[in-house]
Amino acid sequence: MSSILQLHAVEKRFGDRTVLNAIHLSVESNAYVSLLGPSGSGKTTLLRVIAGFEEPDAGHLVLDGRRIDDVPAYQRNIGFVFQNFALFPHLSVERNIAFGLENRASGAMPAAERRERVRAMIELVGLSGLEARGIAQISGGQRQRVALARTLVTEPRLVLLDEPLGALDANLRARMREELRAIRERLGVTFLHVTGSETEALAMGDTVIVLADGDILQVDDPEAVYNRPASAQIARFLNCYNIFGGRLEGDDFLGAAGRFSTLGTRLGAAPGNGGAAPAYAVRQDRIAVRPLEQGPTDGEQGVGGVFVASEYSGPSVLSFFTLDDGQIVEVEDHLSLRAPPAYAEKQRYSLVWNAHDALVFT
Amino acid sequence: MTLISTAVDRPAEASAPRSTRKRATYWLLAPGVVWMLLFLVLPIVMIVYVSFWTQTTFAIQPILTTKSWVTFFASDTYIGALWTTLRIWLTVLVATIVVGYPTGLFVGLFVKNKTLQTVLLTLCVIPFWTSFLIRVLAWRPMLGKEGAINIALQWLGLTHAPIDALLFSELSVVIGMTQIYCVFMVGPIAFMLGRIDPNIIEAARDLGAGFGRIFRTIILPLSLPGVVVGSIFVSVMVLGEFATSAALSGRKVNLLGNIIVTQVGSLKWAFASVAGVVLTVIIAIVVAGLLRVVNLRKEL
Repeated sequence: MSSILQLHAVEKRFGDRTVLNAIHLSVESNAYVSLLGPSGSGKTTLLRVIAGFEEPDAGHLVLDGRRIDDVPAYQRNIGFVFQNFALFPHLSVERNIAFGLENRASGAMPAAERRERVRAMIELVGLSGLEARGIAQISGGQRQRVALARTLVTEPRLVLLDEPLGALDANLRARMREELRAIRERLGVTFLHVTGSETEALAMGDTVIVLADGDILQVDDPEAVYNRPASAQIARFLNCYNIFGGRLEGDDFLGAAGRFSTLGTRLGAAPGNGGAAPAYAVRQDRIAVRPLEQGPTDGEQGVGGVFVASEYSGPSVLSFFTLDDGQIVEVEDHLSLRAPPAYAEKQRYSLVWNAHDALVFT
Repeated sequence: MTLISTAVDRPAEASAPRSTRKRATYWLLAPGVVWMLLFLVLPIVMIVYVSFWTQTTFAIQPILTTKSWVTFFASDTYIGALWTTLRIWLTVLVATIVVGYPTGLFVGLFVKNKTLQTVLLTLCVIPFWTSFLIRVLAWRPMLGKEGAINIALQWLGLTHAPIDALLFSELSVVIGMTQIYCVFMVGPIAFMLGRIDPNIIEAARDLGAGFGRIFRTIILPLSLPGVVVGSIFVSVMVLGEFATSAALSGRKVNLLGNIIVTQVGSLKWAFASVAGVVLTVIIAIVVAGLLRVVNLRKEL
């Protein structure tokens, strides 16, 4: 696939704090790209630099093979959907959507063509019948659609979405996810969607970019990010791994939790673990809980842990066990696979996993 | 039977304290209502009433007549004062908008730091720490024949003789009033501009609009309520003015306010009342007109 946007060593500092640290990035065209990062990782700043609201301190940006560092925001032809939508409060739904076509610096579009484009866009995002309403008279989900339509109607080369679902309630968020993907596919434009939610990033992106502390840690498809995170930091952020710290001793991983053989385990997607100490990670839903006397067998690793409590979350149950060194291990049981577990409180169990379900970051 | 009677009795018992409570809350309004009746409504009614009393040179009698009204509208002096008042009001209103809007734009929109915004608005208010008369009279050494401005102009070689028209003219009254009332225009405009979400302006920029377009289509409409509120402040104060014109016009500019002061001074209560009623009606019309420009209840 060809790439529509490239960032070369883009840096941004606020005072003496480096927010973006020599970012190299290539975004392919006609794709849905999720940019995942914890708050403070610089993801919004990165988006604002691409849009032209902030100037990078170093590096350069290329859009469609053309350098855009010196192109002002209003001539970049990059759409931006704000987290709080930033709709024009004094204009109707229709006038909000028509704003770009009426007021662009490159000259207004002929009225007839403009009306037709706006009408088609209103239909596409499902706002028909609300054209004359004021912004205060529509719901949150409808505002989200106006924000999207207002941007898409200008036919941008690239659409940047800054936590676009953050202001919506959970129910609506799930529905808008589907719609965003469907709308993008119909238009064939690239969406770069910033989010702090790992489930949202994995669900929406054809590609997931993981950003932390101003560095890009991993660019991969969602499945690869989930199954083979490049570093323990990403694994921790994905919120579905138990991570043990320690060091390597020959073929063994030695940590406070115990000694695990690394034979048969997989390595993290990138060597070096981002410069951090080695770590050993096991997915929460790949751990089996057995009575204490049934310890690990061939090809298995395990630790002993005392059951503390469990948390019911509908399709699965999350159970917490304390290891001897005080670390908490979380075990997820999918209820479609097994009956709900019944562990006795303060009882010691054997927590066992297959070696090939473990990841070692060296 | 007992069941039914309790069912009927209970709502009555419950509703009694509720209605008492509701009546009690109305008492909160009492001090305000009494105050306004005694010191606003009653005096206005009195002024209207007195304007129809019979005025002789040394006395005034409660015999109803329209003579004072006829005299007022037949007199060139009074009608002239009416026109001067309207002319000066409009000139000062336009001048405060011309000076105040860019200032408000700078403070409210371009100064991003909230602390600096507050400091700048406070700077605008500093002249109010001194008395009104001192602020007005301070213009005399500035605008006079041998005042600072004339000296500076001659020193720069821009004029050869001092300009007379600077002081004791309509111009000096307009300059003085604009300076004094400008802050009442800057405040509301800066407040409205400060409330505009910066994302909205970035969104407009992202949609391809240049600054001129953004100003015309976004910033100006959203700041209009501030202009209207500021205009109401300035209009009400300028229309009732008398001190600035007395101090800076050398008695050459007579506003309705000056007429009222003079008439009250010579105990012509009926004439003063006529002028007072005319002024009140003008102010009411101006305020009502300004409120029609923008639906303030919706915007604020």
